[in-house]
Amino acid sequence: MAHTWRKVWKTFWRYKALFLMLLPGMVYLFINNYMPMFGLTIAFKDINYAKGIWRSDWIGLKNFEFLFMTKDAWRITRNTILYNAVFIVLNTVTAIGVAILLNEVRKKFLARFYQSVLLLPYLISMVIVGYLVLALLNLENGFMNKVILPAFGIDPISWYTKPEYWPYILTIVSLWKNIGYLCIIYLAAIVGIDPEYYEAATIDGATKWQQIRSITVPLLMPTIIILTLLAIGRIFYADFGLFYQVPLNSGPLQPTTDVIDTYVYRGLITLGDIGMSSAAGFYQSLVGFVLVLVSNLLVRLKDKDQALF
Amino acid sequence: MKKNKLALGSLLMAIILLITACSGSGGSSSDGGKPVEIVMAYLAFTDVSDIQTVEDEINKIAREKINVVVDLMPIDGAAWTQQTNLLLAGNEKIDIILTSSFFNYNSQVSRGQLLELDELLEQYGPEIKNTMPEAIYNGTRINGKIYGIPSVRDFAADYGMVMRKDLVDKYNIDLSKVKTWADLTGVFKVIKENEPGIVPLVPTTQTYQPTRAMYSPEIDPLGDSLGVILIDDQDKKVVNLYELDLYREKLELVKQWYDAGYLSADAATTQEASANVVKAGKAFGYFNNLKPGYAIQESQLTGYEMVSVSLSPAVIQSNSASSFMISIARNSTDPVAAMKFLNLLYTDPDVMNLLANGVEGKHYVKKDNGFIGKPEGVTETGYQFNQWEIGNNFLTLVWEGWDADIWEQTKKFNESGKVSPALGFSFDQTPVKSEVAAVTNVQNQYLVGLESGTLEIEMLDNFINELKAAGIDRIIEEKQRQLDEWAKANGKK
Amino acid sequence: MRSNDMNQTLVNLFFILASAACIFPFLLLFIASFSSEQSILTKGYSLFPSEWSLEAYRYLWRNVDAIGRSYGITVLITAVGTTVGLFISALLAYPLSRTDMPLKNTLSFIVFFTMLFNGGLVPTYLIYTEVFHIKNTLWALIVPGLLTNGFFILLIRTFFRNSIPKEVIESAYIDGAAEFKIFFRIVMPLSLPILATIGLMLGIAYWNDWFNGLIYITDSKLYSLQNLLNRMLQNIQFLQQTNLGGRAEGATSLPTNAVRMAMAVIGIVPILLIYPFFQKFFVKGLTIGAVKG
Repeated sequence: MAHTWRKVWKTFWRYKALFLMLLPGMVYLFINNYMPMFGLTIAFKDINYAKGIWRSDWIGLKNFEFLFMTKDAWRITRNTILYNAVFIVLNTVTAIGVAILLNEVRKKFLARFYQSVLLLPYLISMVIVGYLVLALLNLENGFMNKVILPAFGIDPISWYTKPEYWPYILTIVSLWKNIGYLCIIYLAAIVGIDPEYYEAATIDGATKWQQIRSITVPLLMPTIIILTLLAIGRIFYADFGLFYQVPLNSGPLQPTTDVIDTYVYRGLITLGDIGMSSAAGFYQSLVGFVLVLVSNLLVRLKDKDQALF
Repeated sequence: MKKNKLALGSLLMAIILLITACSGSGGSSSDGGKPVEIVMAYLAFTDVSDIQTVEDEINKIAREKINVVVDLMPIDGAAWTQQTNLLLAGNEKIDIILTSSFFNYNSQVSRGQLLELDELLEQYGPEIKNTMPEAIYNGTRINGKIYGIPSVRDFAADYGMVMRKDLVDKYNIDLSKVKTWADLTGVFKVIKENEPGIVPLVPTTQTYQPTRAMYSPEIDPLGDSLGVILIDDQDKKVVNLYELDLYREKLELVKQWYDAGYLSADAATTQEASANVVKAGKAFGYFNNLKPGYAIQESQLTGYEMVSVSLSPAVIQSNSASSFMISIARNSTDPVAAMKFLNLLYTDPDVMNLLANGVEGKHYVKKDNGFIGKPEGVTETGYQFNQWEIGNNFLTLVWEGWDADIWEQTKKFNESGKVSPALGFSFDQTPVKSEVAAVTNVQNQYLVGLESGTLEIEMLDNFINELKAAGIDRIIEEKQRQLDEWAKANGKK
Repeated sequence: MRSNDMNQTLVNLFFILASAACIFPFLLLFIASFSSEQSILTKGYSLFPSEWSLEAYRYLWRNVDAIGRSYGITVLITAVGTTVGLFISALLAYPLSRTDMPLKNTLSFIVFFTMLFNGGLVPTYLIYTEVFHIKNTLWALIVPGLLTNGFFILLIRTFFRNSIPKEVIESAYIDGAAEFKIFFRIVMPLSLPILATIGLMLGIAYWNDWFNGLIYITDSKLYSLQNLLNRMLQNIQFLQQTNLGGRAEGATSLPTNAVRMAMAVIGIVPILLIYPFFQKFFVKGLTIGAVKG
């Protein structure tokens, strides 16, 4: 017994510097994330502030009911997952593509210019994006209805009452907004690749495309994997601004733009029920958590070092 | 090595500072003689940069009269729900807070966040109940107890349209002939045919479409419109508003207007408030609930002289009292002091004038005829308040441009209102909260589209079906049960 | 050689189109802020408004004290937050990246778990205000939720693991260097790309944050830029979405469409001006040289 304790202490002492380095970050995570974790219990309680959070009554799963007993439950879940799946794949592929292309631009001055410009959309808040989209899709004055469609001889479309267009509209907006931001991460990774690999490949007569396939992408894999795993963990969460502000909260669009977050928000405006909103968050976290555990396991089986944990 | 040690050391320092920043704040004990401090939180979305001056003046009076000083905490509309939720969740110092049926008053009570006021009122605020009709004073009771005191303002509401006077005069429109909503069709026709750039009718806001103003005077929404009673129904039978004939009729009229181009085409998605659209010269008028002086108020907002026509009798509905109240929070360390201050707000004209209008000479000046106005040459005064929220408005001075006897008019108007048999009832959504969440989402999908005339009337049937699927009948059942219980308990059978 | 030039032309063409798609909306925004309210309400946003006007900026100028002050607050919290946050993140990521580190998987999991499960706004708020008393202090704008998070830490960890060759660290050990020295003298200089990336992300997060200000700050002297602007914007939305029984007397003094655009412009422009300075860290050669030499 004493023998194992000594061993533990010895290991700890040997790595004391590294453990010390962990300290500031861990303290912060403890304060910011773990101390408030008791709040997870709110999902299972009927909060009465006169009693305080600790002493409020437990009510089991009642707060979760509203998420499942509605006929919309399937619709919002489907929407959330589909959008996120598409976003993960599309945004990743495009971001990598853009990063690779950016790296290929010979005039560095131009490359820096493009990079700055691509970042612009990320800096604009979703509220303003909502107005910009309105400027595009407005029934009377919008750019589409006034300029583009007439050029092709098509009648004006009432965009904000036709749900079928919005999966495309929202996907494009999400891509437009996030590409500049995402490609920075991939760019940083690409820059770290030793140019000797490329030189050797060129000498061997490989084409650009082959080089991308056999050098760039494989070396980017760690970054791709981790970003994808992290995204999977958030698969039940949606960008609230995107799904609420951009469609201007237009009712007829709900079949294709309603996601879990917007459903919860709308349902709770009059109720203001903290138990229910906590339950919704818990549900979203739990699903993401399970999915990540599974994905992480799969990754571990292939390459232990690339897994999240 | 040194560099590392230094970096590490400063990091540790930062962390230690962070943790020790939690030095316990000693509670301020009020010695005998030292004024008690209270904090009052209320809604403000205008310029209140000069609030310290106003606060100091108020405190001069409060200190002298009741040995209390108040710390005014105006909170923006944008932050209101979040900040008040958080304030009431913990133990921060807050004594008096604005409450409203619009802002989850019911939930706040059922979550134990507000104090019962009955005894405090009797002992320290006995004059308050004389400032308003008895039915209103008792109109905020939940389970028989008062948790909020209504502000004295216009309680009744009649519904109608407000429109640009210059256009009314230009086309010699005789408003005395306009007695029903349908009569407006002729007026709209005239405007549409002769003023191409101007839309006859716009929605008041994206969520308040014309239909709402049209059916409101005929029902009592009982809080959330999920189950209403007809305002004349003394039997208090709760029904589904959306299944009523009167609802369908109004929808059809609005649809007619929309198809004829009398209503703005983008009514369902507009991001502009009606007054702004009129101000831009793009609209003729809009619907709303009126009150004495409404047209004058809207004229100031739109920059055009506006005239209003009332198309319904004045009504007082079940949440007329609870739409703006003041309450004492559970967190309050000295509810007695808080109640004493509230008493001032209802009885002391000096304090109310300071709160409502600012400091005399700085934010307004008295004119000869008893009115008040902005000081010479000043456009931004640094203090603007929304009177109807708090306290006894009848005590305040009148701004020029309004009628001199505006408060008298309001009082009479209040008394003339048809009182709903359910006044004072408030619905506790908790037993059916899952259904409420589901139904609200369905409402959101259809309501604006239907009530703005954008969707086809056939969609109303879809709407009703989906409401049923989401559980509206259960909500109505529960509401009827609570209503009957309340009626029995208050001897209102 | 010729195919290379063709490639370059294609690549550049692609980027010119992409840039147009990004600049155009911003240009619209920018020009709208110089349009008159009348032209926006009657004809919508346009690159060629019927009427130009400086009214929006004049309105903002009336609040120049508040806005100037909020700029200062934002710059301060961005600078401090980004530096400290980056530092803490890298320090935490490094041990996790070392394959010989005991407990590294458990610790990584502890870090990751925070990204998924959250106690919620109310408990977080209670902890920060009642245990740490940071309400209405600058700490409230720097610490809650922003200083670092699992996302950044794990990204840095991945970079450390895959782009810092093990040989470098081993040879440093052999030379007798201590952990901290290795970290500061070797690992950090090799990590400039990822540090610049995370630094940028942290910086943007701090610059754009309005939420912390919304819930922790009631003293208007401590409003950050985005907090101030967002309050103004959301107040408008609030008034327009909630019909408070026809009582919104304050609506006249609220900003209009052009002003919303102007506010967005003054929020974005500083970042655009500073960003180019960061970009030099994304240049090749900086890192490779260090490994070789």
